[in-house]
Amino acid sequence: MPEPRMDLPQGTLDLLILRTLALGPEHGWAISERIHQVSSKVLQVQQGSLYPALHRLERRGWIKAHWGTSENNRRAKFYELTRSGRKQLEAEESAWKKLAAAVAQVLGTA
Amino acid sequence: MLSDLLIRLRALFRRDAVENELDAELRFHFDRQVEKFVQSGLSLQEARRRARLTIGGSEKIKEECREARGVHFLEALAQDVRYGLRVLGKNRGFTAVTILTLALGIGANTAIFSVVYAVLLQPLPYRDASQLVVLNEQTPKVGQVAASYPNFLDWRAQSHAFSQTVAVCSIGLNLAGVSQPETVSGEAVSPAFLSMIGVRPFLGRDFSASEENAGTAPVALVSYDLWRSHLGGDPNALGRTITLDGRSFTVIGVLPPNFRAPDRTDVIVPIGFWATNNPELADRGDRRDMEAVGRLAPGITLTQARAEMEGIAARLAKAYPATNDRFGILLSPIRDKFVGNMRPAILILFGAVIFVLLIVCANVANLFLVRSAARTREMALRMALGATRTRIVGQMFTESLILAFLGAVLGLALAIGGIHGITQLIPTEMLSGATVNLNLPVLVFAAAVAVLAAFIFGLVPAVHSTHPDVQSELKEGGRPATAAAKQNNLRGALAIVEISLALILLVGAGLMTKSLYRLMEVNPGFRPERVLTMEMNLRTQQYSKDPAILNFWQQLLDRVAALPGVESAAVATVTPLTGFHSRSDIAIEGMPPAKPGDHPHPDVHIVSSGYLTTLGIPLLRGRTFTDADSEKAPRVAMINLMVAKRYFPAENVIGKRFTFAEAGDKNNWITIVGVVGDTKLYGLANPARLEVYVPFRQSPTSGMQFIVKSAADPTALTSAIRGVVASIDKDQPIFAISTMNDLVSNSISTRRITLILLGLFSALALILAAIGIYGVISYSVAQRTHEIGVRMALGARRGDVMRMVLKQGVTISLAGVVVGLAVSIGLARLMSSLLFSVSANDPLTFAGVALLLMAVAILACYVPARRATKVDPMVALRWE
Repeated sequence: MPEPRMDLPQGTLDLLILRTLALGPEHGWAISERIHQVSSKVLQVQQGSLYPALHRLERRGWIKAHWGTSENNRRAKFYELTRSGRKQLEAEESAWKKLAAAVAQVLGTA
Repeated sequence: MLSDLLIRLRALFRRDAVENELDAELRFHFDRQVEKFVQSGLSLQEARRRARLTIGGSEKIKEECREARGVHFLEALAQDVRYGLRVLGKNRGFTAVTILTLALGIGANTAIFSVVYAVLLQPLPYRDASQLVVLNEQTPKVGQVAASYPNFLDWRAQSHAFSQTVAVCSIGLNLAGVSQPETVSGEAVSPAFLSMIGVRPFLGRDFSASEENAGTAPVALVSYDLWRSHLGGDPNALGRTITLDGRSFTVIGVLPPNFRAPDRTDVIVPIGFWATNNPELADRGDRRDMEAVGRLAPGITLTQARAEMEGIAARLAKAYPATNDRFGILLSPIRDKFVGNMRPAILILFGAVIFVLLIVCANVANLFLVRSAARTREMALRMALGATRTRIVGQMFTESLILAFLGAVLGLALAIGGIHGITQLIPTEMLSGATVNLNLPVLVFAAAVAVLAAFIFGLVPAVHSTHPDVQSELKEGGRPATAAAKQNNLRGALAIVEISLALILLVGAGLMTKSLYRLMEVNPGFRPERVLTMEMNLRTQQYSKDPAILNFWQQLLDRVAALPGVESAAVATVTPLTGFHSRSDIAIEGMPPAKPGDHPHPDVHIVSSGYLTTLGIPLLRGRTFTDADSEKAPRVAMINLMVAKRYFPAENVIGKRFTFAEAGDKNNWITIVGVVGDTKLYGLANPARLEVYVPFRQSPTSGMQFIVKSAADPTALTSAIRGVVASIDKDQPIFAISTMNDLVSNSISTRRITLILLGLFSALALILAAIGIYGVISYSVAQRTHEIGVRMALGARRGDVMRMVLKQGVTISLAGVVVGLAVSIGLARLMSSLLFSVSANDPLTFAGVALLLMAVAILACYVPARRATKVDPMVALRWE
């Protein structure tokens, strides 16, 4: 059985999704497109990882979903950040920054 | 957390809506992707293809989303159950055979467990029953004997291991003033009895401490049943009187409906009253019907209590050598009193049904393996489509669970029938009030057995058929040859297990059969045919003088002997195989005086002149009693052969004299006038004992057995005898009416029941094992059709093919037999207490059973072997 094609370190996907949604409600396809573009086409979120992650975040209560109309006038499922999601994002963001800084420091001095 | 719960619940109950949303969401994503590709200049067709490629299998994504939403387990289960039912419905034959086999295994287990629970596990209706201990006396010569009341009083005064101790004396009383006089039984107890065991009267009061003293008024607690039948269940019955032994007893209370004692209990009276009216209780050497029950003090173990009581017994032996020399004290948990001698038989049968269940599981696992071989491709397909191995194993296991559940339901129906049958087999008195039925603990057990069985027979094939090796071979195309070989090995191993388990059961049944056969060949020393026995106890005031007692028995004997159809009749204090027998020390004239405890200690039977004729006991020398051996004539006795051989080995015993040492009257010599054959008083499996007979007119006794030899069916005489008794004394009850044949058969009932059930289970095991090996061989023949065809095309003859197939069967059976024999040698010893004059490793039984099993197994292989010889080489070759 192949593993999910995850190009990102474990747990980073949740952070990216939450960060993306901090800008406003979005549907799944737009989330993956935005991550792709904002990362200068470095990060490609596979659908196989994206949707399970969205459903998992929804279950944890960090995001909530509603059906709305998309930019091309079709019914789409939009996700938005909840209050606890925002808190979670802050926590994960600072944790990530600390980690990144620490890793960069190690790489820089070694 | 609330969102979590809502999402889970929604997913569970609005399944379709959630699924539709998931579909829509993924479809939207797909369409957007296609749109994007089209915008970048691809054709619609090419855009769709690319989108499909980048997105991957949507089923897999959905599955992972479901998992992420967290209802996966329940949902998967529901799906598996639906799928399983569909699959099972398609394979009707497989399903039916599996369910039936499982039902047999689960049903047998449930039925036997209901007995295990009722007898060994069900809590006794006492407070902290595990702390209650029964105390008896014991001697090295006789083993367990009853306790004497003065000894009990000393135990109670001296011991610290018990927080409380009470005396319990079994009593029988004649109940008069009712339509037909009857004997009731019960106990005379120390007043603290009920409070110590933690039982409160259903109505009325418990005994008070003062009721231990002599001279208290006659009062009684009656059983719930007696209250219903004789006092009309009247709540105001307290204070009313019942007539027991011709005396009025005031009813002070009613026992609760669930009251249980090891023996039948109709009434309970205080020991103070009983001791006053039975002055022999004050005699330290009088050990008849009493035992003590104690509650262990907190923190004291049975072993510690034993040690303390040993010391007390030693002190008493020193203080009262005449009555207590070498008497010890025997302590046993109260449960043992209820279980009696049934424990080994019950445990052996429980072991046997567990073996049957294992055979059933092996058989069903084999069926599953055959089916899973056919389903390997289906599994491969599902795994290729993204199903995880866990998911598939879980799904197959769900099928096993469904089968086990259905098997359990049918098994419960079988168990109800089985429980009914078993309770018919077990004599009521052996159960001591335990009710064998399908109660909650038994149901829980059945459910647990079903789940366990599903684990055993379901998991092995499920894990096997999804094994990566099997799967990878399949993927490489063609027939998974090594996998098939591996599976055949597994199936062969299962068949070996089945055969060895069946062999163990057959060995058990064989040993029991041989024991029972040997037991029935034992010469009991008497002739039980056409003999009716019953008991009477003359307990009212009018029989307080010896002449009245003698007069009653003589009239009874004379009038019954005159009845048509009566060949002979006798009164006696003994009927072989029943109840307790009184024993006494004797001193033989001319022999040096023995130390206390070293006297000859024979059973002493008080009998009328017709006793030998009525029971067909042979007179070997001298004469039997006659009517001339009356109270006025010189005292005489007969002895059995064992006494003659042991104490008068070289001389003519007729005319020798002895005396009952306890009586101490050396001038009251008793002359031996006859020698009779030994009888098996204590059961066919037990050795005969020393016996002395004295004429009833010289030892008037109020409680006697009445024994009648009939010319035809002895039970036909019952009402005529009742009439005779009523014509002498209309208030005199008769009890324990039974034919001698029934007594003989009851005396071996534990062994007989064990044999019947063990025989049944081993027959079942044999059939299942035969089916098992048949299945393995015929499947292997079917698999090898091609190979057999090739062999025959190359010149192999039918005989060669037959030999080749049979060889496989013989190898499996031989392996099973060897393993089974090895295990049997170890296990058979566990049942040695049930065996009689057969060694637990009886070579004939082992060999016979092994041969039988081999024969059946080879027969089971012969059918597929013959089929193999019918293979048409051309068809087989073209089959590929």
